[in-house]
Amino acid sequence: MFELFACMLKEEWRVHSTMFGNLSFALFPIMIFGIAFMGSFLIPLMQVALPAGNLTLIIHANYLMLGIMVGGFGLLGSEAMNRRFGQASLLASSARSLPLSEQFIFLNFVVKDTVYYFFLWVFPFGFGYILASPFTGVSWASALLLLLTLTLSFLFGLCGVFFLSTIYARSHAALWLVLLTLGVAWAGLATITGTNPVLFFPPLLLNSTFSWVNLLVSCAVLILLFSIAIVLFNPESVGSAKIYKDSFSPLIARFPFMPHPSLTAKDIIDLYRSGSLIGQTIFSFLLPLVIIWFILSLLGPFYPPHGLLFIIAITTGVIASTMYTWITMFDSFGSYACLPVAVSTLITSKLTTFSFLQVLPCVFIAVVALLSGEAAFLIPAVVLAVSVSFYAVAVVVWLCGLSPTVLVYDVKVFFLFLVLVGIVLSVFTGLIFVNPYYALSSVVLAIPSWLLVQKAKRRWDSVDPAGF
Amino acid sequence: MPNMKTIIEARELSKNYGDVQAVNNVDLTVRKGALFGLLGPNGSGKTTMIKMLTGQTLPTGGTATVLGVDAQTDPVGVRRQVGIIPEQEIPPSFLTAQEYLAFVAAVRNIPDIETKAEWWFEFLDFADKKQVLCKDLSRGTRQKLMFTQAFIHEPELALIDEPLINFDPIMQDLVKDYLTDYVKKGNTIFISTHILEVAEEICSEFAILHKGRLLHTGPVAELTARDEHLPSFFLSLIRKGSHV
Repeated sequence: MFELFACMLKEEWRVHSTMFGNLSFALFPIMIFGIAFMGSFLIPLMQVALPAGNLTLIIHANYLMLGIMVGGFGLLGSEAMNRRFGQASLLASSARSLPLSEQFIFLNFVVKDTVYYFFLWVFPFGFGYILASPFTGVSWASALLLLLTLTLSFLFGLCGVFFLSTIYARSHAALWLVLLTLGVAWAGLATITGTNPVLFFPPLLLNSTFSWVNLLVSCAVLILLFSIAIVLFNPESVGSAKIYKDSFSPLIARFPFMPHPSLTAKDIIDLYRSGSLIGQTIFSFLLPLVIIWFILSLLGPFYPPHGLLFIIAITTGVIASTMYTWITMFDSFGSYACLPVAVSTLITSKLTTFSFLQVLPCVFIAVVALLSGEAAFLIPAVVLAVSVSFYAVAVVVWLCGLSPTVLVYDVKVFFLFLVLVGIVLSVFTGLIFVNPYYALSSVVLAIPSWLLVQKAKRRWDSVDPAGF
Repeated sequence: MPNMKTIIEARELSKNYGDVQAVNNVDLTVRKGALFGLLGPNGSGKTTMIKMLTGQTLPTGGTATVLGVDAQTDPVGVRRQVGIIPEQEIPPSFLTAQEYLAFVAAVRNIPDIETKAEWWFEFLDFADKKQVLCKDLSRGTRQKLMFTQAFIHEPELALIDEPLINFDPIMQDLVKDYLTDYVKKGNTIFISTHILEVAEEICSEFAILHKGRLLHTGPVAELTARDEHLPSFFLSLIRKGSHV
């Protein structure tokens, strides 16, 4: 077990570090540490406007979402390893030539991902908070407890998605049944206790009142979910003998007005046939957003009027921008290297497909607006979400070209992304708190977005196309 | 062949990957109607040469002109005119073989793709796989598909990295015949391989690359006239590791 695990860990490090240098990649967790350390000094200021419990809630929600995003990426059913490693023929697939079961390889893969991303994201954040605690008046014990409960939040997100995605790979009906059961349980708990069920989230309970029993229960739930997922994992491709009728030609005929109909049609087929369109929509879009919506709704009294809808619109915009990774995960430029296609052409076509997908955030915002009785602000909220999404994706395209999921771990790339997107989000958060209709002014983001995309096309056409 | 049109011209072509010099100052000329074999051991720079000639990677130094188009400044222009079979067969995962050819036709503006595709499905004997997803095809069938996409627009020049590597003996024979017939029609083929017997059998000219340096270039007929065989010539040259 350990040899394979250690080799996978080494491999993951080398995959990232060879792309942008050991130092650049090693600086990534240090930057997270720095952000947490410096951010800790703002806690006393934040607590003036926001009670400590709510701040804890937000941080836990972020780590739960991080776990969901990490778990959701590439762990969708039988294509799990193929998508993540596929043509690269890395250990996850090449280890199949060894006398090891698929479950065993997958277990190693999952444990490796957990450890790797823990040290990349979770530990640096918690460590920054711990080191800052003597200066911020927070006790060592509560800082350590926070690290523990954030780790648990991250793991709940990771194994929750892992659990749901393996069920999804086995049976779509079973997934809906599980989700329905969870929904009924959620509603039942809320009705019986009269409390928002979010507050029963085990890591949160543990953080508010530590007890060994709570810790054991949390760990038991995690182990149970992980174990079920490992047992249910089905590496066999059910589609190997399947015959498909031609969907490409009818689809291409529907998009004559698109800049590159053939490339867009291919992207849509990739999304549909891989199961990503449904899988990613559930695990990487709806699930995180619904959780964020519930959590942010607890903070309602601290927002100005209508503030919640617009905060959700901004968050939806940022998460919707990650849909670009749904489209770019299927192929590298290598797939097109024998065709007369430039990187800039591919960027245009991927952004066209991305534009189609923006109907999802629009629908989500519409549902939130209707359910929260804010239908009057639907249009400015949708404009804000879509503008933020296009702006954030333009920044990603400029920084990462066709390889967003890989290059984002370059510390320079990640830092620039945080700065460029963070400034814009802060400005528009301020504006909507002054007047909700100022959200309409976010259409001006179309200008920097367009400029960034043009710059990105020139940039990525002038360098050797990345093979990842 | 002094009057033949130059199809590929490389001058002082070099490529470095960090500290590794994959191709080092290579001068190469390929004329119209040649079935040109670029030979060399593993890691000699053959694939990098093909990638530079087709604009898939930018050279560190030198120039490459293919069918009169500069591969560095207009890589898409080069790829529009030629057919390419890359080292690793990589058709998109979630398209069927038939859809992939329709995709290639749409990108290359090839008319009447259905008829042409049907001919290729029959010729390479994979009509029963045309509705199967590319990711579920065997290596050999994927190679057939990549072979088809490279020739379906009948390019004046095709560049093929290891043309026979995934084919069974029957298919190898078929493909060798196809390639020799193709150049007889006035087209040019540039293959890279380390299967010397195949190169000797089908190539009219060859070049030997070793550790990124060009050791030899000339017609196969020259060797035949000296009663020498390509494999033994190749091995002695590589062992000497110097210019002839």
